[in-house]
Order: sequence, then C-alpha cells, then structure tokens
Amino acid sequence: MGPNGAGKTTTIRMTIGIIAPDRGEAYIMGYNVHKEPVKARSFIGVVPEVSNPYVDLTAWENLMLVGGIYCIPKKVRVKRAEELLKMLKMYNARNRKVKALSKGMRRRLLLAMALISDPDILFLDEPTSGLDVISARMIRSFLLKLKEQGKTIILTTHNIDEAGMLCDRVAIMNKGKIIARGTPKELKIRFGEFTRISLCFDREVDAKLVREHLNPYEVVVQGRRLVIICRSKDLGDVLDQIVRIAKERSLSIEEIRASGLDFEDVFIKVIGEPG
Amino acid sequence: MRSGGIRRYLYKIWVLCLKDMRLYYFKGPTVVMGILMPLFLWLAFVVGRGFSFAESLPALVTLASFFVSSSITPIVMPWEARQKSLEMLLSRPVTIRTVLLGTALASSLFGIFISSALVTVGLLLNVVPRDLILLFLGVVISSLCYSFMGLLFSAVPSDVPADAVMLSSAVRLPLIFVSGIFIPISSLPHYIKPIAFISPLTYFSDLINYSYGHSSLLTPSIDIVVLSLLTMVFAASALAINEATLMRRL
Repeated sequence: MGPNGAGKTTTIRMTIGIIAPDRGEAYIMGYNVHKEPVKARSFIGVVPEVSNPYVDLTAWENLMLVGGIYCIPKKVRVKRAEELLKMLKMYNARNRKVKALSKGMRRRLLLAMALISDPDILFLDEPTSGLDVISARMIRSFLLKLKEQGKTIILTTHNIDEAGMLCDRVAIMNKGKIIARGTPKELKIRFGEFTRISLCFDREVDAKLVREHLNPYEVVVQGRRLVIICRSKDLGDVLDQIVRIAKERSLSIEEIRASGLDFEDVFIKVIGEPG
Repeated sequence: MRSGGIRRYLYKIWVLCLKDMRLYYFKGPTVVMGILMPLFLWLAFVVGRGFSFAESLPALVTLASFFVSSSITPIVMPWEARQKSLEMLLSRPVTIRTVLLGTALASSLFGIFISSALVTVGLLLNVVPRDLILLFLGVVISSLCYSFMGLLFSAVPSDVPADAVMLSSAVRLPLIFVSGIFIPISSLPHYIKPIAFISPLTYFSDLINYSYGHSSLLTPSIDIVVLSLLTMVFAASALAINEATLMRRL
C-alpha cells in the first residue's frame, strides 16, 4: 500500500523482471528474475496496472495467445479458458473484441489471462483501480476465492479497505521505501496507543482556531465535524480543549465518539497527511 | 538450451508471429506503406514508358519485397506501447528478443507471400525466371533482411507509430533511387555509386535482374552472401537497440 508515487508499480516491475533494480536481486521459486526471467515468469501470473489486452482480438483470442506463450497444450488451454471465463462471468462475451468490452470486463479478462497458466504466484498491480463498485466487488470476491485455494497473491493498492479485506500481510510504502509492515491487525495494535476522537458541533467551526487549541494533535476539520488523533494518555487534555472551544464559541457538541484507530488512520499516521 | 527448450522457444516465436499476422497485416500503415506505395511507384515507373510486363516485373518484385517486409516491423512496438499491451506481453515468460523475432518473422512472411504471389502472376503470364530456386532463396533472405531493417526504425522509443513510419520512409524512399531499380547503377553519378553499394536493396535488385535474365552487376552468389551478412548485421543491431530502448517505452 502507499500513496501515488510511493513506488508500488516500480516494485512490482522489478520483482517480475521487467525493469532492472539499481541494486539487489529478486528470486521467484529459486530463479533470479533478471538472469532467468523466462523461467521465473513461468511460475507467475501478472496483471500490470497500466495494461490492456489486445483490443483488436476477442477475449477468447487473447486468452489463447497468452496460453500459447506459456506453451500450454491446446486442450488444457481451452478447458482452463472456459472455466475462467465462466468464473469471471465473461463467457458470453468471449467472442467480442476487447475494444467493445467495458473497463471492468477488460480488467477481468486481464485477470483471466494472468490465471490461464494456473500460476503459483499472482502479481496484481491496482487490480480494482478505476472500476465501478460492482466490478471491483466481483474482482475482490474472486481474489478471496483464489486466496482460499492457497494461491500467493501480491497486490498493490491505495484502497485501504481493500488491503484490510484481502491481505494477510501489509507493507506500507512511501517514497520508494517500506515504512511499516505487518498484518492489518498488527499494524492497528502497533498504533493502539492512539485514540481517534470524532465529534460533531452544531455549527461550523473555524479550522484555524481548532488547530491552535489542539496543537500538537492531528486534527481533520470538515465543516461541523472534527477528527482528532492523539495518544490515549492525552485524551483528558484533548477533551478539555474541545470543551473550551465549545464554551468560547458557544457551540454545542451534538455527538462525540472515541475509538481505536481503524486501518485508514494507521495509513495516514504512517504516511502523514498530504502536504 | 536443450531440444525441448529450443522447441518451446520456437513455438513462442510462432505464437507471437501469428498474433502479429492477425493484428498488423491489414493495419492502415501496412497497407499504405507496404502495398500501395510499391504498387504506385511501379506504376509511375512503367506507365507510358513502353515497358512490357516482363521488363518491369523485376522492379515490382523488388519493390514489393522491400516495402512489404519493412512495413510491419517499424510499427509494432510503438503501436503496442500505445495500446498498453506491451507490458502485458512482457510480463509473460518471454523476452523482448522473442517478441521482436515473432514480429520480424510475421513481417518476413508477409514479404515472402506478396513477392511469391507476384512471381506466380509472372509465371502465369509466361514471365519465367531462369532459376526459380535462386529467386525464391533471394526473396526469403531479402524479406528477412528488410524486416530486420524495419525493426531498427522501431527502436525509436516513441509510442506514436507515425514517428517510426516517417523515419523508415525517410530512409527507404531515397534507397529505391540509388539501388538500380529504376536507374541502372552504371548510369548513376560517380558520387552516388558508393551509396548504391551500401544499400541492401542493390543486392536483391541485382539478384532479381539476374533471375529474370536482365543485366546484373554482380554474381548471384555475391548478392546472396552480402544480403545474408546484412541480414545478420540488421538483426543483431535491431535486437540490441530495441532491448536498450525498451524501458523508455513502458
């Protein structure tokens, strides 16, 4: 996970041997991806972030092409392509040219193309990026099924919910470096000493004033709503400040809630607020 | 590489070749620069000048082999980079070299097919070459040579196919006037003659002229050897340069 420009795609490209790293090595199933890229890539399926199937070929022809590149015997290729297209609800569109398919269908086709060789490892670079809710949900539930089947899936995303839902382990990247890693639960625990306070005043508040009072805590002001992240031991002080703001400005507090950090908070805490 | 490995390697090249045949044989730039251009150049050369079909067929076969074989290779890489399918392809168990060889094969086969069709038309009209096997060998080698030459133009790391087409036209068009197709090399000004001998088109044109019993400058064996050497030089440099510029495409 990481914000745009964090280095997620570059990491994937290096790991599958498309670009060479400045230093270091990557191995897939014991094969060095830069010295033996063909052998290493024969164990993996990849859905690159910025990629398309061949738009002037049909979905079926694209699958047969990729199956051919993996040297899969025709009978096996055909059987597997049929299964995948049915699972991804694309069987009826198999003879349509890719240029006539929606973005969501193209993405599903790319996923089918990555799986045609029944790979041990799947690399997915932003698999649901830019998709509508239904297509994204369909891909996520398909990935969960693959996960249950025991496939190793390495996916990049900047969608926090997606990472929390799909991943056993998460690495958070920024500026080309991994800055935190662990299971989603571990990351939350690591930041467990923090408390998230969300509250709602009856009127809009001056963001500058709020920030002055609540310095040095992390504050997000959105109209009448505030979200404050502070250490649990500072909770009393934060509440005092909130009451002071309310008194000074004659505001009423309509709602207040304190909780542990959710995965989004952890992400923001690690990466820092933009700007 | 073991025999199984070689078989798989060749099979992958063939799969990629089939893909290029399906996708690029009837693309606009291929039809315009590969089929219409040599046809109209030939018509401009023969119409109203009193040339018989037998006299002008060698020029047509030479132009067809040259233009058709070098029409697909320049556009495939920019086209695939633009369509965002190149990275999808390179994420599979293939190297860029395999991809390029598939493209070169597709382009060569197109050139061989069109040139052979013209030779067949000649045979049907009783224009019979003196050595059909030599002629066919020349067509095969020249098609490979010109398709690798075309691959050199695709090394420009652009995702605009027109850039590669422009570059290839800038090189290909002048070559047809200095390679003994329209103007015999012996009639060229002395300062252009050296260029004629570095043009890959000269040797095929000479071989075709010989095959059809017209006057030729060199012996067929020299033409074949030079064409083969040029094919190797173009292949090695095209593969190396395309590999070097690949990353700037993605």
